[in-house]
Amino acid sequence: MDFDFNDDQDLLRATTRAYLEKRSSIASRRPLLESPEVFDRRVWEEGAELGWTALLVATEYEGGSVSDQPLVDLVVLAEEFGRTLQPGPLIPTNVVADAIARFGSVEQRRAHLPGIVAGKTVAAWCMTADGSPDLGGISLRATTGPDGGFTLTGTAGYVHGATVADLFLVTAASEAGPAQFLVPATSAGVSVRRLVTLDLTRRFGEVHFDAVAVPAANELATGDSAVDVHNRALAVATVLQGAEAVGAAEHLFAVTLQYSKDRIQFGRPIGSFQAIKHRMADLAISVEAMRAATHYAALALADGLDDADEAIATAGSYVTEAHAFLCGECLQLTGGIGFTWEHDVHLFLRRARTDEVLYGDPPWHREELCRLITSTRTKEQP
Amino acid sequence: MDVRIPEIPASYDAYRDELRAFIAKHVPTLEMKPRSGLRVPDTAEDVEAQRNFVRALHDAGYRQDRFQAHDGDPFEQRILQQALSTVPEAAMGNPLVAGALKLFGTDDQKAKYLPPISRGDHIWSQLFSEPNAGSDLSNLKTRADLDGDVYVVNGQKVWTTWAQWSDYGYLLARTEPTPGPAGITAFVLDMKLPGVDVRPLREITGTTDFNEVFLTDVRVPVTDVIGQPGNGWKVTNMSLAMERSGIGGGGGGAVVGELIDAARLHNRRGRSAIEADDVRQGLARLAARSRIHRAIGHKIATRAAKGKLSVSDAPIGKIWFGELNLAMCEFALRLQGPRSALTEGDPAAYLDGVWQDRFLYARAWTIAGGSNEIMRNMIAERGLGLPKEPRGS
Ligand SMILES: Cc1cc2nc3c(=O)[nH]c(=O)nc-3n(C[C@H](O)[C@H](O)[C@H](O)COP(=O)(O)OP(=O)(O)OC[C@H]3O[C@@H](n4cnc5c(N)ncnc54)[C@H](O)[C@@H]3O)c2cc1C
Repeated sequence: MDFDFNDDQDLLRATTRAYLEKRSSIASRRPLLESPEVFDRRVWEEGAELGWTALLVATEYEGGSVSDQPLVDLVVLAEEFGRTLQPGPLIPTNVVADAIARFGSVEQRRAHLPGIVAGKTVAAWCMTADGSPDLGGISLRATTGPDGGFTLTGTAGYVHGATVADLFLVTAASEAGPAQFLVPATSAGVSVRRLVTLDLTRRFGEVHFDAVAVPAANELATGDSAVDVHNRALAVATVLQGAEAVGAAEHLFAVTLQYSKDRIQFGRPIGSFQAIKHRMADLAISVEAMRAATHYAALALADGLDDADEAIATAGSYVTEAHAFLCGECLQLTGGIGFTWEHDVHLFLRRARTDEVLYGDPPWHREELCRLITSTRTKEQP
Repeated sequence: MDVRIPEIPASYDAYRDELRAFIAKHVPTLEMKPRSGLRVPDTAEDVEAQRNFVRALHDAGYRQDRFQAHDGDPFEQRILQQALSTVPEAAMGNPLVAGALKLFGTDDQKAKYLPPISRGDHIWSQLFSEPNAGSDLSNLKTRADLDGDVYVVNGQKVWTTWAQWSDYGYLLARTEPTPGPAGITAFVLDMKLPGVDVRPLREITGTTDFNEVFLTDVRVPVTDVIGQPGNGWKVTNMSLAMERSGIGGGGGGAVVGELIDAARLHNRRGRSAIEADDVRQGLARLAARSRIHRAIGHKIATRAAKGKLSVSDAPIGKIWFGELNLAMCEFALRLQGPRSALTEGDPAAYLDGVWQDRFLYARAWTIAGGSNEIMRNMIAERGLGLPKEPRGS
């Protein structure tokens, strides 16, 4: 029993935190909040050297992890990304790297993984059109051409990193059921509409595919195995999304706790009022719960534990929702100053509210969890 | 990261099988209906039957480490704990004094009191709370005045679970008139001494689990002080922390599987409730909280193993468990719809009213052992470093 990070992972955290504070702090990105682009390629490439894009990739494709639980290593990075509200598509790029590494052909791995690992290829995941994880929400159609290649037509929505991506992992409905394709962003007929979003710290796009020709060699999976790719991607994204929320929540909670000790009203720190104290205690409990749920999901997925599906659905049910609630509470407890544009709390709140709906919202994951637990409870009572 | 605990080797299968067979053979049929929580028999016959069962287990070599009387094989202990966790007939009295004796007792006290707890020869209860000292326990007024080689104890205790059948009490009383924690001393109280008057109280559940205890000129030998005089607060805090983590670690609570059964069985608008979206969402919320409870337990166990426990750990576990258990009970009643109005004794009551009893009893877990409000104060003040509550005079 050691439900905690090991020394190497702690070192990875320290290195990442120091780098992000120096090169990509929230304060340094403030002037960019309303600009069309917040992503900094140099930071991404430097980050790639620190392992941001390598952990889920085998060494033969230039990747490598810190421990024998690469996904847990990645949780460390995602927590640090959340803590400082990083713009970079850590989640989608790693989801795509993982999909290629697990399900891709040798040619596909060779073609894409080294570039992703080096930070040269930024990848984004076109999940569905309506942003839900239901494959029924796909609007993209793939038709087979005479040369065995495909033509993609349709739209994918709510794609983090779409505005800067070099490579898309695209799910489409084909004659053989769902299918996934690797589509370079430069392909003719691909266009991206930048979305105007509640979240100011990341950029999202709607990706349009207008009769995009995709060679047969770019098909990653089809039919049942495409469903596997989708489910695996969703599981990885859910864990990492949870980890970003954990990092953000830990930080915002610490800031708010300090504020409740420093701010004096009625001659005493506001943190001495029980109405506030008890809310702080509840938030402390929820941060612990978010951490426990996320880490267990990461561990279960990394080690392929029997209850991995339930663990993922549990994290998806709870973590982003608890985080969004925490951000609202922190705003409330910070008072008028928390209501200003200058204060960071709204950046956390905006992002948290967005996190909640990106990779299956909590009600979606709860339905999944309900399905799982009821399918294993067979005994009927009189 | 790893949450596995060493797997119990197959060589222990025989131990487990024998234990199960032993329990099945010896477990008594009590008049008392099995209920969740720390529940107390109504009759001396039931108490005697429980005692005989605990003794039989003990004499057959099934001895629990938690009574601090011996150190068993860790794998056997795990099997034993697990097997007995679903056998309420083996739970007798409030044995938390064992931890206090183990840490603070003299060798004589350990030899005299620990083995009989383990063997079920002595039933204990915990005499802490008073009419004016509940959450504010250090405000307790029961006095123990030194008179030669005895303390003369006067005062009143209340909510004392199991007192009506107890042989001994783990008593807190004031040996110095100074207010607050400084003058409090922990004692072993022989409940058969003259001047100990136990009056059972009926609870919201209709059952009688706790009592008032009046203490009038009770003469307690100085050799029955646990730890040093005036040191009782420290002794107590240790055993209360154990009680909280016991609640947080939680047996006795409602479980998700039973909620699924109830949801399948009951209808709404002509369909099984399990098909209703809000029921599915509600079930999943509870299942998630239940799984998270376990994961928080892994976090706490990891910190315990590294000697890095936080003062917030036991309160977090207690709050999470107590509120989850209550939410499950409320959910179970809602699933039953109008039928939830029926309780034990009505032939149409669902499972003879087990959920109605659990629902009522659920508040024990959020009040007893330090209320959840007090737990929140602990997390905020001692865990997070927020200012302490001001105290009135
Ligand atoms: C089923 C059951 C079994 C029990 N068994 C035992 C036993 O065996 N031995 C024993 O000694 N005791 C026992 N108790 C007593 C238990 O420990 C006390 O009930 C508990 O500590 C609360 O004290 P109180 O009942 O006096 O409530 P009070 O302290 O009067 O509290 C009333 C309400 O005020 C709140 N409150 C009090 N102080 C504060 C504060 N500072 N901030 C915010 N809110 C506050 C409480 O949370 C509670 O909601 C038992 C209680 C129950 C319900």
